[in-house]
Amino acid sequence: MKMLFHILIIAVFSLLLIFALIFADHRAPDTAKQFLLEKSHIETGAANLVTAIYLGYRAFDTLGETIVLISSVTGVVFLMGSRE
Amino acid sequence: MKKTDILDVVSRKLAPFILLFGFYLLTYGHLSPGGGFQGGVTIASAVILLFLAKGTERVLEVFPLKSVHYTEAYGFFAFLLTGIAGLVFGEGFLSSFLKVKGAGAIPGGGTILLLNIIILLFTFAFYFHELFSLPESDTFPFCVAFHVDLSEVLKE
Repeated sequence: MKMLFHILIIAVFSLLLIFALIFADHRAPDTAKQFLLEKSHIETGAANLVTAIYLGYRAFDTLGETIVLISSVTGVVFLMGSRE
Repeated sequence: MKKTDILDVVSRKLAPFILLFGFYLLTYGHLSPGGGFQGGVTIASAVILLFLAKGTERVLEVFPLKSVHYTEAYGFFAFLLTGIAGLVFGEGFLSSFLKVKGAGAIPGGGTILLLNIIILLFTFAFYFHELFSLPESDTFPFCVAFHVDLSEVLKE
């Protein structure tokens, strides 16, 4: 009985969230999208928008990604042992 | 270890084209879909194909393990140095110190091509390490990981 009550509460609140998403008439924010479409190939010199973002605007993020790669290699070599 | 002729011939004919496609993805990374990560993964897949066909010794002759170690370690420092060069000659950390001419030409992208090359080098070194850290066996290096004894598969 208590279980049923919990399920009912979860159903009501998830339906509220879903209906809020379905019937909302907010448009998705597109300021950043418009800015990138107009300016990115001039500012970074990359026609590919993905490259313009990850090596032009957010290259610092990519630097962190390299640290992730290096630390994972260190962990793998430490655990499995090198061939030498 | 028994080896089929199909694997040998197909890998020898196919691997150069996969390598070439990897470098294509690298050089046109800022103009068309592609980039350093994708190119590195493609080149690593060609090397995996050569592993399967030729065994580990032949591949280690072409890519010595020590130089791959250094590529992995110094690739990160090269990335950092590019960032610091942007700090000195450009506007800020990791900003382009080369001239940005706008999209359309390969050298027009400033430091993006340079960063892509560095990313390709250490993505390739990453997959090479992952492959070679697997326990040694007389069959292919993957068979240990997938719990398959391939020599028995090939006998049948």
